[in-house]
Amino acid sequence: MKNKFVNILVPLISVLLAFVIGCIVMAALGANPFVALQALWTGAFGSMRNVGTTLARSTPLIFTGLCACFAYRCGVFNLGGEGQFIIGAVVCCFIATRSGLEGPIAMVLCLIAGALAGGLWAAIPGVLKIYRGQNEMIISIMLNYVATLFMGVVYTNWLRDGTVPQTAPVPDATKLSRLFGLRVTTAFILALVTGLLIYYFLFYTSKGFQLRAVGLNMTAAQFNGFAVKRYILMSFIVSGAIAGLGGSADLLGTQYRLINGYASGYGFDGVAMALIGQLHPLATILVAIFFAVLRVGSTTMQAATGVPTSVSDIIQALVIVFTVAGLAMVKLPQFQAAIAKLSAGKEAK
Amino acid sequence: MDSAFITNLILASVRMATPLIFLSLAELYSQRAGLVHIGLEGLAAIGSLVGFLVSLITGNPLLGVLAGAAVGILVNMIYAYATINLCAEQIVYGMAINIFAPALAAFIYRVYFGAGSELVQVGLMTTLSGMLGITSDSFLVRLLLDQTPMVYLAYGLVIFTAVYFNKTKSGLNYKAVGEYPKAAATLGINVVGVKYAASVICGALAGIGGAYLTTCYSTTYTDGNVAGRGFIALAAVIFGRWSAGGVLLACLFFGFCDALQIRLQVGSYGIPYQFFQMIPYIATVVVLTVIGMKKAGPKGVGKPYLREQR
Amino acid sequence: MKKIFALILTLAMVLSLAACGGGNSGSGGGAPAGGDANAPADSGSGDGKTYKVAMICDSSISDGGWGMACYNAMVDAAAKYGWETEVSDSIAQSAYYESIVAFCDLGYDLIYAPGNQYTDAILQAAEEYPDIAFALLNGGADTPAKAANGNVTSLLPDAQQVGWIAGILAGLMTQTGKVAFIGGMEIDTTKGKYAGFVESAEYIGQQEGKTVEALDVVYSGDFSASDKGIEFAKAMMDQGADVFFGDASAVDSGARQAIDEFNAAAGSVKVYDIAQPGDFLGQNECIIGSQVTDNSGLVGLCMEAVENGTFGGETIFGTMQNGVLSCGKLSDLVPADVQEKYNSYIAQVMDGTFMQ
Repeated sequence: MKNKFVNILVPLISVLLAFVIGCIVMAALGANPFVALQALWTGAFGSMRNVGTTLARSTPLIFTGLCACFAYRCGVFNLGGEGQFIIGAVVCCFIATRSGLEGPIAMVLCLIAGALAGGLWAAIPGVLKIYRGQNEMIISIMLNYVATLFMGVVYTNWLRDGTVPQTAPVPDATKLSRLFGLRVTTAFILALVTGLLIYYFLFYTSKGFQLRAVGLNMTAAQFNGFAVKRYILMSFIVSGAIAGLGGSADLLGTQYRLINGYASGYGFDGVAMALIGQLHPLATILVAIFFAVLRVGSTTMQAATGVPTSVSDIIQALVIVFTVAGLAMVKLPQFQAAIAKLSAGKEAK
Repeated sequence: MDSAFITNLILASVRMATPLIFLSLAELYSQRAGLVHIGLEGLAAIGSLVGFLVSLITGNPLLGVLAGAAVGILVNMIYAYATINLCAEQIVYGMAINIFAPALAAFIYRVYFGAGSELVQVGLMTTLSGMLGITSDSFLVRLLLDQTPMVYLAYGLVIFTAVYFNKTKSGLNYKAVGEYPKAAATLGINVVGVKYAASVICGALAGIGGAYLTTCYSTTYTDGNVAGRGFIALAAVIFGRWSAGGVLLACLFFGFCDALQIRLQVGSYGIPYQFFQMIPYIATVVVLTVIGMKKAGPKGVGKPYLREQR
Repeated sequence: MKKIFALILTLAMVLSLAACGGGNSGSGGGAPAGGDANAPADSGSGDGKTYKVAMICDSSISDGGWGMACYNAMVDAAAKYGWETEVSDSIAQSAYYESIVAFCDLGYDLIYAPGNQYTDAILQAAEEYPDIAFALLNGGADTPAKAANGNVTSLLPDAQQVGWIAGILAGLMTQTGKVAFIGGMEIDTTKGKYAGFVESAEYIGQQEGKTVEALDVVYSGDFSASDKGIEFAKAMMDQGADVFFGDASAVDSGARQAIDEFNAAAGSVKVYDIAQPGDFLGQNECIIGSQVTDNSGLVGLCMEAVENGTFGGETIFGTMQNGVLSCGKLSDLVPADVQEKYNSYIAQVMDGTFMQ
């Protein structure tokens, strides 16, 4: 119980700290930090429209966060969320714009194909890890670059729409519908459902238990007769499929077409979300929404105060820096001992 | 394929390999102490900016390089403290540095030069042939003498590193920290001390690698000028199997791929240029797959070291 | 203790930044006073109202290239019409829409987006904010028609004429008969500039009795990799190119650096570069002239339209004829007789008889 409290407290303090530093920087630049904070709030929650934008912004982050979360639960570092997300979006785009299908059938087909493509793309580092002993981080990072460049080929050449380097937009009938007329779409619901399913799988099924056991201690799991390699490969494919699903849902929901710079940074963002969410799927979703609030809000903050955009990047990086350090710190034996002493003292009184 | 094409290709390969050598050595020193560092991209970015600024203000590129090294060390201390003392996840910290440091660099550039400013250009370090007053078109002169002192430093460091890790007691102790930190500690090696030393070396080399870009290579600074080199360096260390010589070969190979990519693009007809840009990344994956890993890496890499769990 | 150390370290860093910041106060148009965040988006254009324009940009406005030129165009136009300016730069693709909407919510009258890549985000925002004007520099000619509320205007410098202005000079100046073009992204305007550059350089070659051919266009893939500019230029000089033109901001500056180095090694200036979109003569030794695009004129036309309440739904082309495009000063490296020829060809472009 006490630990849970600390685990929630640490991110909150970290955010506070990051913002204090951010405000000092803004004040030093001659901007009023209070105006800035007010703008941040208005930007994220000022109107229903802004809330919709914030939730829409959180959707891809939830998917890549869940992708990282699932793989890490099995003890493998899938840093390829971005590439898997992109490949999902590319395949989805191909089907949506070139298959001739439209409407709900195309929609479902796109989502499934996107997930499959993401899973297959993630299977590459998985297979290489199992059969060639390769470092999955390196391979998945390299594949991110390959995927991004491949997307470049797709939107500048193969699926190019007329004069500019971008693909044609997804047909209206295939687009995911908006919720309450806001920017947020059913993709957000899909993200939540995915999160719930993963939560159920990891904590309420025996396979999920075994997968977590592999993640906690690979040697012990092997000793207990668990098919470790199979779990590793499965976790790669499933986490890639989550990212791929995210890519296709984002394409059908908000993005509509492939364009330069699409999905840049989503993969690493997801890793951060998952770790700040302490590898819990539902917590990861909350963290992703929180980061979306930060991003959408800081856009307005930047516009209102005129400080360089990099200030909000610095604040976001500091949130990650402080939270991850804080969470690591409270796990240290020394800290745990201090807490135990403190609570023992209280009880004695 | 005339001879001019080939000589120019070789010269370009060497040119493009040099920053990679600094960054790869930074990664090598870090990983040899058990610290996997994916934040070199960020360290190089801030090193590149500070190197640029100092070189611009003082008019001395060498001071720029030193300042780049200093800021690299400073920023890397965040990583070191969090991963060594707090045992935080190394990957995440590297990533956080990758978000933080480039944003900091962009911020400083903007605040210093202001919005909508004119293009600022800085003088580059003179080459050895320039210092000696030699001008010649011969290939050997261009390859061996037409280089800045930083290039010689890079190759010197490779030799030093190879000797250090294989022939000196201190180097073997250093490697022990990356392999079996607990065993190393029982032998009386100061594990935390070595890890901090590794972070200082890593920060300095990564900062120099970044500063190289603005003091020896390009006369301008632009946001994002590191352009993925930090990640290529990470690949180069694994590709080079954690040995100094291997890392050098890997860097030269990636430099060659990059140079070839540029030249193929100039002479290309209708093949999407992105395919050429993929070469270094695909080459890494393919070569890693073919060679196989055989667990050549330090065994303690990526794992936190808790003194209490001895 | 250790935590305090970490804190002090961070604070020290921030304070040192703050010290840097002391010299130059703020950025962009400066920080507006508090309360602006709540300013209503009034659509009426009452007398004495101070209009506000905001620019979004995915590259940095201190890049010494495209971002800088577009930012300065806005600032110049704003100074002329007495508008307030603000800017969000270096924004990611995923934040285009949000950045635009943030300015809309803050009551800006005109949103200025320099690049075709913002089209989707602009159209979306224009639909949701019918009372705000949106100007898309290098937007498609058909984009204004797609805006449901007719509040989007495309500003389109004539890419062919841009190419001609540089191509004529390149054709006149080349000794090797090979000219080169370095592009940033493979976008329509860049392709148009390249096409204009090639056809005019080849035409000039025929007129002057020599063969001029252009090397294949290369794309750096972004506008910030000056190192790629260096390598592209070196590779193209290896193939014999001796006059360069480009469309890639910081990449161009890398190319010029490589050209300057080549010339220094050769002992005399043998390879030339033609700059754009400002008059950059003197920035590098190799620059022999510039193709100048006065985007501030185009932005100014939008401001005028907003003030008069006539904004929207049109595509404004920038040409030599309406003064948006022009030639920069020529360097002494261009011999007097060539300067004369150049001016006569440019006069042909002006009166529409070039290549007819």
